[in-house]
Parts: sequence; structure tokens; C-alpha cells
Amino acid sequence: MGNKQTIFTQEQLDAYQDCTFFTRKEILRLFHRYRDLAPQLVPLDYSASPAVTLPYELIGSMPELKDNPFRQRIAEVFSEHGDGNMTLDDFLDMFSVLSEMAPRDLKAYYAFKIYDFNNDDYICKSDLEKTVNKLTRNELTPEEVSLVCEKVIYEADVDNDGKLSLADFQHMIIRAPDFLSTFHIRI
Amino acid sequence: FWFLHGFDAEEDLVGNLASMSTNERIKAIQKMPETMRKKREIRNKVLKEIKKSRHRGARPSCCTQCLQGAAVSFRRFGNTLSEYFHQLWVWRKTLKIIGAEFGTSVLSYFVFLKWLLNFNIFSFLINFSFITIPQFLAAEPNNLSFTGLELFTGAGYFQQTVLYYGFYTNTTISKTENGPSYNMQLAYIFTVGIYFVICFLILLISMAKFFSRNFINPQAFSGNASKLLCTWDFNITNEKAVKLKQKNLCTQIKEGLTEVNKEDVNFSAMERVRRIAVHLLAWVASLGAAAAACAGVYFLSINNLELFMKGHRNDLESQTAMLVLPVIVSLLNTLIPFFFSWLGHLERFQTPGQHIYVTITRNIFLKMSIVGILCYYWLNIVATSESQCWETLVGQDIYRLVLVDFIFCLLGSFFGEFLRRIIGTTVCKSLGLPEFDIGRNVLDLIYAQTLTWIGILFSPLLPGIQMIAFFIVFFVKKVSLMRNCQPPCKVWRTAQMMTSFIFLLFCPSFLGVVSVIGVTVWRLKPSEECGPFRGLPSMYAAVTEWIQILESYTASKWVVWIYKNLITSELFFFIISSFVLIVIYLYWQIIQGRKTMAELLRKQINN
Repeated sequence: MGNKQTIFTQEQLDAYQDCTFFTRKEILRLFHRYRDLAPQLVPLDYSASPAVTLPYELIGSMPELKDNPFRQRIAEVFSEHGDGNMTLDDFLDMFSVLSEMAPRDLKAYYAFKIYDFNNDDYICKSDLEKTVNKLTRNELTPEEVSLVCEKVIYEADVDNDGKLSLADFQHMIIRAPDFLSTFHIRI
Repeated sequence: FWFLHGFDAEEDLVGNLASMSTNERIKAIQKMPETMRKKREIRNKVLKEIKKSRHRGARPSCCTQCLQGAAVSFRRFGNTLSEYFHQLWVWRKTLKIIGAEFGTSVLSYFVFLKWLLNFNIFSFLINFSFITIPQFLAAEPNNLSFTGLELFTGAGYFQQTVLYYGFYTNTTISKTENGPSYNMQLAYIFTVGIYFVICFLILLISMAKFFSRNFINPQAFSGNASKLLCTWDFNITNEKAVKLKQKNLCTQIKEGLTEVNKEDVNFSAMERVRRIAVHLLAWVASLGAAAAACAGVYFLSINNLELFMKGHRNDLESQTAMLVLPVIVSLLNTLIPFFFSWLGHLERFQTPGQHIYVTITRNIFLKMSIVGILCYYWLNIVATSESQCWETLVGQDIYRLVLVDFIFCLLGSFFGEFLRRIIGTTVCKSLGLPEFDIGRNVLDLIYAQTLTWIGILFSPLLPGIQMIAFFIVFFVKKVSLMRNCQPPCKVWRTAQMMTSFIFLLFCPSFLGVVSVIGVTVWRLKPSEECGPFRGLPSMYAAVTEWIQILESYTASKWVVWIYKNLITSELFFFIISSFVLIVIYLYWQIIQGRKTMAELLRKQINN
């Protein structure tokens, strides 16, 4: 109903509406945001599902992401091959999870993947050290960083294996009600 | 979660999804933690499966097909509607900018303000359409003159306008002789009543949603792990703000590593007694300050009434004398909280959270007791005085209070933020930029909304005035925030605080207003010479008279039956209350049982 658009077929738009938390207008708006990053690479007609990938440098220069300390990890987690280069599908997926309508469990799953720097399904001490350094801009001494990481593991590790699994992380999230509103990017 | 290992798992998943209803299926697909491509594949497989099962012969009846089609188009329609509403909101960009620079905590104040605005817009719309517009058809001419001072005092010319209760007619309005008629009495009481019922439901549902999402767990106050991993604010997208937040986090971590954990310190008995004595003394001082403020307001208002009764001289002196009470009330509301926060600094609480909660409790107690004493004065003294139209007097008082409170809010922004920034950057450089005081501002909003709700009965257009005031406050606060303030340093538990504020809006504020309105409608005698209820023994008598009239029509006997047996019957309310109490008790037991189970499971994992 309303404006006729020629970017997607109706089938594609329906699929996007069913798979993300966005409405039709928001999907079109996000498409234009994606296209504005590189108008010469992204065609205006997506009905044939072209395989267009934008490099990480363009994604990381978006105003919503460019000052975020975790932008590289966010792009890597949501990109198809884990290298930060995103297709339109990955782009929509990323902002759908980071929108305010996504449920807590989904956000917790992706937040866990973002903080898991070495992609081994556990947040171990080295992952935590990298996180702390990103959060404090490398201003703490290595001893302080190590001490903080030990404290965190001591507090949050429920099954006592020296690293945080997804279950430990979710258990921690339950006691942090602010998580839903802070793990959120408005676009 | 469904982690897709292997083809069989996927087959099961597709089968599961195909058997759900459309809404549930869409929600389940949206929640899946898979890439978009995978989700689309699964969605297409599920749709194929559904088509196959339809063709195979499990053909649902026309009815189910119709219903499903209707559900899909209803959902699409709902989506389009919400899109249009989103566009209407100019705030989206503004909120994004505020959140980008100052984070979620400051943003929550502006979101709360926007939410309160909705209540006022809704009230203004229904009051204007159902009460004011019909009144225009039966309006009496206004022979008073308009001087500019009316905007501040609400008296004078405004007394004979639709702004106040006194102007409304008690007749049944009809354009033609035997045409459709409009009963102003019933319209007035039902509009106000239904508005309050809808507000009650909205507040209850919001409160329940917030409580369930952000279960207030006071133990989780100091958690290094959650502070590190769960509180980085992804909303902040301003370079300076990000650097500031990183610096703050660095300082907090350093402090956390070096200082002794305050909760582990065991105080000696002497020390504990001393601390309790200090706390007790501070509470006595704050309650005493609140009581003194209330007494002052009470005596001032009695003097005010004598001023009214003495004469209706419309000269400058008596008009400005009317403004003394609101100014004093607003001064008390502004200055006494500074006294409370000074007390809080003296007391040295164990955690910053305790400090915040105690300060907020004292402030809300002060504000609500001032509102309470004013209501007592209005309902007991003004209503039984010999004035011509006591409801209009009360309406004028509330109008002045709302207006002066609005002016003080703007002044507070000017002094608290603008001047403070000038002082902090030029004269006394160690102070630095001010921070936006979220707690104080939210309590001011709750106070303003309480006054508006009380005023709806006496001045039906007051929500419109408050609506304009809130608009102006939003933009002034936003500009002041961007120019004068720095992002917050300390941790502000946004979710818990918002839950507490909505609870405060419901419990002392809204319920208090409902009880005041209830007393007015049921017990007080409306004035004889003005207003839609003139001559009746109480405002509620309009409804009882209407029911008596309905009894003579056979077509509306069911309305009379509902009224007699459900609304005015004590047995019915007793049965409902017992039922609700039983349900609450059962849910409480279920929660306790689940808590025990969670504890047991936790112990099992640990071993």
C-alpha cells in the first residue's frame, strides 16, 4: 500500500519483514543508508539479489559506529565470512539485533560473540583483557588489567572452568537490567 | 535456541515452525540467532511445508483460512500504522542526538517527559471534544474585560470562559427543539471518569511491564563483571563523549581495585550506634522541614482565602497578592531539596544507591505532602466557604500553581545549568561543567503531572496548558543540556530508576489524585450558582438521577441491572477483592518456589 518501490520484489520485502524486527519503511530507509555508503557499488535494483559486499572500512565509517570501540568486532560478528565486509543481508541483520525490539536472549547471544575475540565460544582471560583495553583506551597498566579480568572471572564463572561460557554470560545479563537499553544503536 | 547441527535438527525445526500460528512463527524466526540467509532459507522451507500440508488434504476450513488471511493483513496494517506514528514524532532525531552524546541515563528523562506528554494530549483531546465544544453552543456572553495579567493569575476575564468548571452549563444542550440533546452533566462526569480509568490501566500495564523486565535486585549493585561487560552504552556515538566515558570507566576500575570493599567492613558496636543515630537525626530533620513547609503553606492559603472573600477588586494589588502562594510553594519545592542533599552528604551512606534512594524518598515525601495539604485546604476550607463558585477558585489556584511551577522549572534550568556553567568555566575553574540532575528533574515532572491530574475536574482545559508547558520544557532542557552540561560520571542504574519513577507516578501521585477526585465527586456539595452540577447534593447524584430516569425505559433495563448489582453492590466488590487476593497469593508462592529451584540448580552447577 502507498508508494510503489522498485528496489525489492514484494516477496523479498515480506521475507525481510519476517526475518528482522523492521517494518517495510524502515527496511527501505536502511537500504538507502547502505547505499549512501557507496552509491557506485550498490545498485538500485535488488530484485535479482546481486552479490554486493561493502568493505569494512566503509561500514566502520558510519556515524553510528565510527566512535564505538567495538566496531570492528561488531562488523566481524555480523559479516558472512567473519572479515567485516558486509552484504545488505548482514547489514539489516546487524541493525535488527541492535534495535530496541530485539529480545534479551538474542542480544545476549550476539554480545557474547562480540566479546569473544578468538571465536572459540568461550570468553577466556585474553578475550577479557582485550575487552578491558578497548573499554579504557589502553590506559590501565597490564597488572591492573590482569587483576580486573581475574575478578570478573571469579564473579561470573558459575561452572568454575576458568572462562565464561554463554550460559555464564546470560546469567550475568539477567542481573543487569540496563543491558537491553545500552546494547542498542538507533538508526 | 536452536543450533542447527545436522539436517535432522533442521527438519524438526521446520516441522515445529509449520505447526505454529502465523504470529508465533514470525516471532520465532525473528528470534533465531542465525544469519539472514539461513533465516530466509528456513522461512521459505516452512512456507513450502505449510503449502504442502494444505494441498495434502489437511485443508483448513474456509473459516480458518479467512481468519489467517485477516490476521496477516491486520499485522501488515498495524505495521503501516506504527510507521506513520513514527514519522509523526519529531522527537526521533532529537532523542537520537541526546542519546548519542549523553547516554541512556539522561535519555530516559526525555523519554519519560515524552510519555507524560501523551497523557496530557489525550486528556486535552477528549475534554475539548466532549465537554468544551458542546459548551460553545450554549455559551453565555462574557462581559469582563481582558487585561494581560490574566495569563498569570488565571482570574479576571478567564473566570467566565471555558477554562473553568464554573462556566459550564447544567442544562441539556440541543440545537433544535426536539432534536438530539446532549446532557452536559453526564458528559462531564463520564469524560473525566473514563479518562481516569484509562490512565489507571495504562499506568498499571506500564508498571507491570517495567517490573517484569527490570526486576529490582538490590544485591546486584556492585558487580565488577556486569559493570565491565554489560554496561557499555552503544548509544553513545559522539567522539568526545566516548572518550569521556572511557576515562570514567578507567577511573572507576582503578578506584575499585584500590579501595577496600565497603560492605566487608565490620563496624564496632559504638560505630554502628553512631551511624544509626546520625541517620535518625537526618530523617527527623527532613520530616521536620517537610512538616514546617506544610504548616507554612496551610496558613498562607488560609490568609489567601480571606483575601478572596474580602472583595473582588480587580486591581493590580489584589491580583499580584494571589501569586504569593504559588511562588512560596515553588520556592519551598526548589530550596528544601538542596537541604536534603546537604543532609545526604553529611550522612555518608554505605553505597551510592542508598544515597540516591533516600534522597528521592525525602523529596517525594515533601512534594506529596505539600500537594496533600493544599488538597485538604481546597476540599475542607474552600469548598465549605461562602464563595460564589468554589470549584472555579480551586481551578484558578491550580492554574497559578502549574504556571509558576513551569516558570520555576525554566528558571531552575537557567540558574542550575547556564549560570553554573559560566561560574564553572570562568570564575571557579575547579568546579567544571554541571551534570544534568536526572532525579530532581523527574520528580519535578511527577509533581507537575500530579497537579494537572487534580486540576482536570476543576479546569478541563488545564491539560492543554500543561501540554504546551511540557513542549517548551522539552526544548529548553534539551538546548540547555547540549550547551551547558557534561555527560554523567557516576553510574546511574537507568532501568531500576525508571521502574521506581513509574511506581512513584502510580503510587503516591495517581492514586492520591484518584482519592481526591473521589472525595470531591462523592462527598462534596457543588456550588449552587455555577457549574454543571449546580443544585445537586453531590456530583455523583447526576449519575443516580440518570439511572432513575433509565428505570422507566424497558429497553435500558440491563444498564440499570448492571448499575444496581455490579457497580453499587458491596458484595460484588468483596467477591472480586477476595479473588484478586487469592490469585496474588498463589503467584507469590509460585515465585518463591521458582527462587528455591534456581538456588538448588545453581548449587548443582557449582559442584
